[in-house]
Amino acid sequence: MKKVCSNILLIAMPFLVLSLFSSCSNNEADKPGYEFMPDMYRSPSLEIYSSNTFFKDSLNARPSVEGTMPRGFVAFYYDNTLEDYLLAGKELKNPFENTEDNIEKGKQLYQMFCAHCHGKNGDGKGSITHPVYGAIPSYADDVMIRRTGENMNDLAAGNIYHAIYYGLNAMGPHNTQINDTERWLITMYVQELQKGN
Amino acid sequence: MLQLNYMFINMTKFINLSKYPFTIFSSLIILLFAVSASVSAQNIEEGEKLYKANCTACHQIDSKLIGPALRGVSDKYSEEWLIKWIKNSAEMIAAGDPDAIAIWEEYNKSPMTAFPYFSDDDVKNILAYIEQAPEKQAVVATTSVDGGAIVVEDQTSDYVILTIAIVLLLVIAGLWKIKNTLKEVAGEESEDLFSSIITLVNAFFARKSIVTLTVFIILGFGVNSAWNLMLGVGVTKGYAPEQPIAYSHKLHSGINGIDCNYCHHSARHGKSAAIPSANVCMNCHTYINEGPSGKAEIQKIYDAVGFDPEKGQYIQGYEQKPIKWVRIHNLPDHAYFNHSQHVVAGGLECQDCHGAIEEMEVVEQHAELTMGWCIDCHRQTEVKVADNDYYEEMHAKFKENHPGEAFNVEAIGGLECGKCHH
Repeated sequence: MKKVCSNILLIAMPFLVLSLFSSCSNNEADKPGYEFMPDMYRSPSLEIYSSNTFFKDSLNARPSVEGTMPRGFVAFYYDNTLEDYLLAGKELKNPFENTEDNIEKGKQLYQMFCAHCHGKNGDGKGSITHPVYGAIPSYADDVMIRRTGENMNDLAAGNIYHAIYYGLNAMGPHNTQINDTERWLITMYVQELQKGN
Repeated sequence: MLQLNYMFINMTKFINLSKYPFTIFSSLIILLFAVSASVSAQNIEEGEKLYKANCTACHQIDSKLIGPALRGVSDKYSEEWLIKWIKNSAEMIAAGDPDAIAIWEEYNKSPMTAFPYFSDDDVKNILAYIEQAPEKQAVVATTSVDGGAIVVEDQTSDYVILTIAIVLLLVIAGLWKIKNTLKEVAGEESEDLFSSIITLVNAFFARKSIVTLTVFIILGFGVNSAWNLMLGVGVTKGYAPEQPIAYSHKLHSGINGIDCNYCHHSARHGKSAAIPSANVCMNCHTYINEGPSGKAEIQKIYDAVGFDPEKGQYIQGYEQKPIKWVRIHNLPDHAYFNHSQHVVAGGLECQDCHGAIEEMEVVEQHAELTMGWCIDCHRQTEVKVADNDYYEEMHAKFKENHPGEAFNVEAIGGLECGKCHH
């Protein structure tokens, strides 16, 4: 009996020593691990967000050169002023047809870009918890008089488009995230929400 | 008011009430005042509700937001003026009220929303609330943000192992001591620690079978871990580096419910899902300059873009600095991956590949991103054809030529080498 015990002890001994060593090694979450051929991962070709020593600010993602525009770019000829906001409301019409399909597309985009503040049903009760975004008016509101001199539910398509493009009050400008087509589709859905439930 | 009441009660102790009806009358009046005092507490509560529902989109008590800070507003303007202003400021400006025009011009001629449906009492209640609002509006902190939570957890588990090891060593030392003491009591010769270790090692090497067994087991372990190590080359699963800004996906996406596409807006349009440029952060952080963990992390965005949160405007001529986020998900150059194809045409959720990002304080690579992992998914995943006109024609032809077969990614050429290696 005594011999069996000591045999087990003897086998266990080297593992005890090993396990002591292995427990010393760190689980390094902030290191990516081993690479076999780093030059196949990090080739000299430029990637969108990599840094570029050619430019002073090292940014590889460049803003477009002044006086040029990206392909497919649609210009918006209204400035970020109250006058142009009102003018856009008077002049602009939604170029997209009011079809069920377009409204559904607009709804999907609205859920991505607007719902966290304006609420899933446009009631202003979004999921953002910060107090700055705690009192967002409902699209269907018919009592507060907005800057157009009308209520929320009277805002024209051009007003809504202008607000998405340049922002309004605590809302920031969204023209870099949402392209022209998407802005009009969202506008169409917001106009549906203005009708209330 | 309470004090007055108290004094009055003390007085009545000395005066016979029935003889002095006037005293009773005055006591009633004082009581009435006391009641009106409690009504005013109710007014403040009422005012707070109205304030939070209607004003906080543009105003804060102690600092400028879109409109001016509101503390002390009742001292600056008369109550009558404020009631008129809040109900319809545009009218006052049009009528040429000098105070109204002054404030309108100070705030870039952006008109204040009119609240014509407020009663005079509503406005008075709001003003009552503003006058005695708590010193600083606490930021709603639904959760404590603890940057680098994953790393911290790992450290604790290391400490646990270390403690257990120390305890075990102490137990061994204690047992050895007891054994020695027992030997001394029995009259045998006791050993010191060093010589007993020597005895143990000698006994180990004296038994050939045990030595052979140990060598085999250690070899097995070695081969296994070498195999695992080689399989892990170039696989960065679990990689969770510290980022230049302790941005929490849990706070933004999980708690505040912001859709992934809001910031990663190019995932639907192109190859890259986009690391949002700082202007996207500024959509909200122009006004939100304090988070649950304080101001330091948000200040880093301001330092990058050159924004002065006190004045609420960009610094002219500021040399902007890039925020150098550490890349986590990286494919080798010879493998092509396109986000829009998977998100729009494939209809995948971000979480399918990236895991529960909305629960991560620090983003960690969820999937292996190896070729085997891609292929597995392409073999198993059935193409979503419902409400997806992208594959309509292809699906119709497939059904015709391969009746009864599964319409998975493999079936539409998702395993062809050139699809990803071109």
